[in-house]
Amino acid sequence: MSSGGMCGGVANACYVYPGAPATPGIVTPDISFSRGIYMDGSITMDDGKVITIWGFTDLAVNNGMARPFPSPTIRVTEGQIVHTSLAVPGDMWVHTIHHHGIEPAWQNDGVGHISWDVQGTYIYQWRPQHAGTYFYHCHTNTVLHAEMGMYGALIVDPVPDPNDPPGTKRVFAGGPAYDVEAVWACDEIASSWHTLCWDAGTCGGDAGLNRLEADYFIITGVDGAKSALTDPRVAVNMSLGQTLLVRYIAAGYYPQRITFGGLTATVVASDGRPLPNPVSMTSIHAVAAERYDCIFTPTATGVYDVTVEFLDWVTGNTLGTARTRITVS
Amino acid sequence: MERRKFLKIGSAGIAGALVAGSGLITWSKRAHAATINKTFYITDGTLVQPDGVGVYFRGFSDAANGLNVPGAALIVQQGDTVNITVVNTLSTTHSFVIDGVVDSGPIAGGTQAVVSFSAETPGTYAYYDSQNPPYNRLLGLHGGLAVMPSGSTNTLYAGSPTFVKQYFWVFNDIDPVWHNALAGGANPTTPFFPRYFTINGLSSRPPGAPGNGDPSVDANADPRSLLVGSIGDRSLVRMINMSLCTHSMHVHANHMEWLTLNGAIRSDIWKKDILPLYGNMGRVDAIYPFEAPPDAYPPVTTGNYPMHLHDEMTQTAGGGLYLFGTMTEIHFV
Ligand SMILES: [Cu+2]
Ligand SMILES: [Cu+2]
Repeated sequence: MSSGGMCGGVANACYVYPGAPATPGIVTPDISFSRGIYMDGSITMDDGKVITIWGFTDLAVNNGMARPFPSPTIRVTEGQIVHTSLAVPGDMWVHTIHHHGIEPAWQNDGVGHISWDVQGTYIYQWRPQHAGTYFYHCHTNTVLHAEMGMYGALIVDPVPDPNDPPGTKRVFAGGPAYDVEAVWACDEIASSWHTLCWDAGTCGGDAGLNRLEADYFIITGVDGAKSALTDPRVAVNMSLGQTLLVRYIAAGYYPQRITFGGLTATVVASDGRPLPNPVSMTSIHAVAAERYDCIFTPTATGVYDVTVEFLDWVTGNTLGTARTRITVS
Repeated sequence: MERRKFLKIGSAGIAGALVAGSGLITWSKRAHAATINKTFYITDGTLVQPDGVGVYFRGFSDAANGLNVPGAALIVQQGDTVNITVVNTLSTTHSFVIDGVVDSGPIAGGTQAVVSFSAETPGTYAYYDSQNPPYNRLLGLHGGLAVMPSGSTNTLYAGSPTFVKQYFWVFNDIDPVWHNALAGGANPTTPFFPRYFTINGLSSRPPGAPGNGDPSVDANADPRSLLVGSIGDRSLVRMINMSLCTHSMHVHANHMEWLTLNGAIRSDIWKKDILPLYGNMGRVDAIYPFEAPPDAYPPVTTGNYPMHLHDEMTQTAGGGLYLFGTMTEIHFV
């Protein structure tokens, strides 16, 4: 795997603490994930521009040769003891995994700078107690590394209900069942940041990291200008009578407004917790890192264009738009 | 100027010690309403930011020779009569306003005014200077006020979930171009591009950084901001966003119980790890429950965790210095 460019080594960065200590109280897990690092991925935008992407690889698949964006999903069941192993070789500098919304011991919370920044291999051990939608991201120089693409979905399923027909999928125990599932991680890209070094700004100096000049807008790693309308990783095709679950993740930094093209969402959970009472919404205003679990039971066939507006944090004006589509046949 | 800076930092530390967990008045149940008197001095000065740059501020200060940004947190009880004396030591015109409660009107430079009001509806309020909006507020002329329900020490509003401690998190973002224009008497002419990001007037200093652990410098160690509790020490946090920017507040280790948005009691209490802080004085009240971190294995009851904003530009200072922005800590002890 090639390195992250002509940038300085860890010794030249500031306030990072390379390490990979033993995991406290480590036990044999029920499920494990093996993540590596890539810093030479890319996304090709609809206008042809190629933007550098960093992310996590799945070392269990073909030695982690693929460079998926977003990073491969971590999917577990409530109550499982989970190991997320993160391997960072020397030429990938330092990174962490923070399982956002999961609340483990501090050693497994993956917050760089105030614990350690992984160099070598660290095993994050945790046991999720609440089914729902989460995501994971790097928490070293986070302002840059999460913007560079170092995130992926994290889904906690409920323990299957023995009274359900086999294969039934629910958002949480006792919650609604669904037939079709989509994960929409909505993010803005500021391409001007995507040439920076991994440690940009850590020692001071103006790296421009207070100014996110977003120029591309994506849904789950697909350009929302046009591609996400039809890309099967994002766009939904379903049949009338089916129930759709959209796991909406506000993966960017600016506020967002998602509008469901005339469909009404029944929002049943947020941030990995069921709502006491579901709420009907035709659009949702979200701020950075919020998650909303949205159930749709369309009552008519049709094509519903979903719009995600990314909003200036001062003016509220729309900076850009990403679109995808729900087709009900 | 150097001497003033030292005064400023010193006074910030003292303010922190006074306010932590108690506020202006002793936070204890009273059977009868009281009369609360407080004097604020409108002052100005320079506060040094994490990258060493000095920036001009104004504040509602506890002393004529100090500078408090934000102003002291006030905690009063429903039914109290509150008399605020505002001494304007500057040459510019200012005011003291609590939306829907009281408005001093313009207080000319070198004059003073007394505003009086009766504390009525329990909740969290911003006090601020509404003159030359929003500039005087952004320069630091702001603070938080809590009205406790009559006879209650542990509720936000009648019948609310209970807490055992309470804190204010007053957020503000600083565009030094704006501050320096205003210092020279001119309104800014450029868009708002904040370069420094604060909670209760301070930014974070990560481990190894100068000032790390110093409560007068490091927001992680500021007793006004830092949540400290043992399991069950449910802590109410009254959040007010003085900035123009809308923010995303993120806590680690526990979800928070979301009680109010912009002063309105929410019909259902959602448990959230992210809460929206709208620009221009958006408010949120939420309880950090200090439950054992649910997803730990083996289980734990202690540890230090961060609170930070998740619009990550806020985690920087001067365009870099990740983790020198709006962050504090949560200590399970
Ligand atoms: Cu990273
Ligand atoms: Cu996060």
